[in-house]
Amino acid sequence: MSKKVLAILLVVAFVFSSFVLAETVNLKLLHRWTQEPDKSFFEEVVKEFEAMHPDVNVDIQTVSNDSFKEKITVMLGTADAPDIFFTWPGEFTNRFIRAGRVMDITSYMLEDGSMFEYVGSQLIPFVYQGALYGLPYRLDGKVFVYNKEMFAKAGIDKAPETLDEFMEDLEKLAALGMKPIAFGNERPWAVSHYIAALNQKSVPEDVWEKDIDPAVGTWSHPGYVEALHIYEDLVPYFNDYTNALKHDQARVAFMQGQHAMMYLEIVEIPEIGRNGPEGFIDKIGAFPFPATDGPGNQSYLVGYPEGFVVNSNTKHPEEAVAFLKFLTGRQMGRLELERLGWFNGIKNLVTPDEVKPIIYETTQLILNSDRMVNWLDSSLHAKIWAVYSVELQKLTDKVTTPEKVMEAVKKIATEVRKEF
Amino acid sequence: MLIIFYPLFWIIMNSLKTSTELFINSFALPEKPLFQNYIDAWNMGFSKFFFNSILVTASSVAVTVLLSAFCAYALARLDIKFKNLILYLIIGGLLLSPHSALISLYKIFDALNIYNTYFAMIVPYIAFRIPFAVFLMYGYFKDFPGDLEDAARIDGCSTLKIFMRIVMPISKPIIAATTIVSSIFTWNEFIFALVFIESEELVTIPVGLSRFRDALQTNWTGMMAGIVLASLPMIIAFLFMSKSFIRGLTAGSVKG
Amino acid sequence: MNKKKYFNYFYVIPAILFVLIFVYFPIIMNFYNSFFRMTSYSDTKTFVGFAHYIKMFNDPIFYTAIKNNFLYAGFSILFQVGLGMILAILLEGRFIGKRIGTFFRNSLFIPSIISIPAVALLWYFIYNPQIGLLNGMLDLVGLEQLKTAWLANPKTAIYSVIMMSQWQYTGYIMVLLIVSIQKIPKELYESAVIDGANEFQKAIYITIPSIKSMLAVTTIITFIGSFKLFSEIFIMTGGGPYNTTQVLGTYMYRAAFKFDEMGFGSAVAVIIFAITFAISIFQLKSFKTT
Repeated sequence: MSKKVLAILLVVAFVFSSFVLAETVNLKLLHRWTQEPDKSFFEEVVKEFEAMHPDVNVDIQTVSNDSFKEKITVMLGTADAPDIFFTWPGEFTNRFIRAGRVMDITSYMLEDGSMFEYVGSQLIPFVYQGALYGLPYRLDGKVFVYNKEMFAKAGIDKAPETLDEFMEDLEKLAALGMKPIAFGNERPWAVSHYIAALNQKSVPEDVWEKDIDPAVGTWSHPGYVEALHIYEDLVPYFNDYTNALKHDQARVAFMQGQHAMMYLEIVEIPEIGRNGPEGFIDKIGAFPFPATDGPGNQSYLVGYPEGFVVNSNTKHPEEAVAFLKFLTGRQMGRLELERLGWFNGIKNLVTPDEVKPIIYETTQLILNSDRMVNWLDSSLHAKIWAVYSVELQKLTDKVTTPEKVMEAVKKIATEVRKEF
Repeated sequence: MLIIFYPLFWIIMNSLKTSTELFINSFALPEKPLFQNYIDAWNMGFSKFFFNSILVTASSVAVTVLLSAFCAYALARLDIKFKNLILYLIIGGLLLSPHSALISLYKIFDALNIYNTYFAMIVPYIAFRIPFAVFLMYGYFKDFPGDLEDAARIDGCSTLKIFMRIVMPISKPIIAATTIVSSIFTWNEFIFALVFIESEELVTIPVGLSRFRDALQTNWTGMMAGIVLASLPMIIAFLFMSKSFIRGLTAGSVKG
Repeated sequence: MNKKKYFNYFYVIPAILFVLIFVYFPIIMNFYNSFFRMTSYSDTKTFVGFAHYIKMFNDPIFYTAIKNNFLYAGFSILFQVGLGMILAILLEGRFIGKRIGTFFRNSLFIPSIISIPAVALLWYFIYNPQIGLLNGMLDLVGLEQLKTAWLANPKTAIYSVIMMSQWQYTGYIMVLLIVSIQKIPKELYESAVIDGANEFQKAIYITIPSIKSMLAVTTIITFIGSFKLFSEIFIMTGGGPYNTTQVLGTYMYRAAFKFDEMGFGSAVAVIIFAITFAISIFQLKSFKTT
């Protein structure tokens, strides 16, 4: 009889039991693409890599985009942390570097010269205090994508370059009886891209660089208020229910021809090709955020590469780095472009005639930009962004003023500074 | 009646449309029903979510019911010291809200190395359902007549044998009710699964469904098909066993 | 014989261990943690005393959250218990046949067994300003001026979430009350009929007084449920717009897992614990009297 009881106790013990030890080299890869076609792309990368390295086994884990920021923070603190993981370079990654969670790969990259395969400007975001910590998986930047037919109908013959031209064009488009800009800001990362561009243009470079650092940032430069005044002027040209629509719902409306333009990430353009109406991708053009007369550098582009890094606690650094290089290297870069339409950071990946003109053009915008400006939401301290984003939604709803927004940001920045 | 059913009807109808049809008119009937959305939803992860939900629900409910039945039986019928103390201790768990344990449990699971595994769901589901299950069963065991047991005991049967051969068979209604209530709870549980599981490969239906929406490129009609898929198993089970459902849920008077 | 008695304890030990280790211990640990500053990705812990509590009591969002929990409780009691009671009396009365009664009862019950994320997403679509059912309905009946972005408008967002829960749970509470009504002895009604009472008088003088204790129980569980609120808000609004729909559950989650302030999150969890525990004691008492 007591055997049965023993069996029951064993079941309980089983619940607490930990893992079986592995024999081969097991690597864990964490990325954030839960849907097709991206998911099978990663599976294919892993398959190819395992074929080349028979003793290595790579497990894929995925966490979807919106929860990734929270989850990766939590995961790195656990024993279950991945060996190679997706990340956004900048402050988001730097805090993990400071906590000693990310491996310095500089020597691995110099050893065989593979560092020089990559476009230099796209490696810079992964550099922290002189060392390289990660490699770019896909390039990205933010541009206005516009419907050429509608621009022509409104009598606009070239894409606007300055803010004044831009405002005039908006007026002409509005005269056709539409809201010219499609904008879904239910998740306020969408507005953060506008503000990243405007802040950078309205505030001197050294000032915004300092303010992004939560330990010293004061956000007291008047340019931030000025940036919001410009944003306020754009609000009347947005579609209705801005704060209630998801970004992709607004994008559907843009693709259906209800609006003339939308501020989009370059990586979204291939998706427009896949999901938009037939031929739509050939009817669109793109231009960067128009120049203002602010003191910031006007030729910078908002957008940052995304990439992968290696966990400094990995048991198999050699294999992990080898995988990282493989994933972001030339061969897989070609495959990535073919399957997903994205560029990684490898030099001269394609010739102009291999891809759609709009895709080549916009990628050149990234490669030729003097400097990339990081997304605002991932470059700010989480608590500052929480306040900033709420205030920006209010501003979009026209229930507050630029001055009040920055008062609130200054207040939370002061609170956060005290924690350092 | 219309208020209850129209939303359900609306979502089913839209789950059979193409995205364009949905955006043009969400009231119209689909031109021709498109079951592709269901196939898409299934392939985009629902098959896995279903598997996970079934695995987690089945194992945690089985352990919960078994351990609680043992415990409730011993407390109600056997000779044990500190009976009342133990009873209050266990049933007292009902007063404690899972939210208050969330952060510490996360730390504990990390220390035990079971964070982001099935156990990180199964273990707390069992722990938080035992008080309720014991509470339901204790009342039942306490009330039933002792004659049969006495007869068996005189025949020399051990307590375990009595429990398995005599008590369990006549307790079927309460076991069914406990199983149903625990299953509904586990099947629908959200916050533990959200916090303790990272990998898309391990998530259960409720969390999987909510993450479905988050991807940059949302398949709206597939999402709606997902909502329908997620709700169907419980509704079907209910239609077949509405009496047991109602008995179970009303006996406990505790909201999920 | 002695050995057998000793053996009896094996029946209760596994259950006790589960409850002690995974229910009681975490809650005690939570109290302790609320006095420390800590993050999830580094192991340092700093003692901060009552700093988290002081910060919380100075944070306007904390009061918004508590206010929303109470608002939610108020509406839920009004609808689920109030309307649920009226429906229960109607369904159990002589107004409709038994078959139809059962059909109605089961139909109203169905939303409560669908998972909250599924219901929340369903209503998320219903409230969508462009393709949503609600704005579409308003168009149909000519009330365009009432159209709004239900979940993004700070004036309507919290009420929109509240109404979804009423849709989901009124049927459940109604069924609890029906079960209680069915237990009322028939003779009570028979003698009332002899005295010439109509249906309305029967409800007021017999039904409601007889189910008083069940009304108390349902009121309490609805109240407790309101303080366990999390998934609905998390999915439909994420606490927005402008934090107007934060509740204690989302406020805690935000601190612990978004801002990585585990200690502060624990302090919020202590408040949730205190409120739900206090009300649960009431519940336990009312269980004893029923």
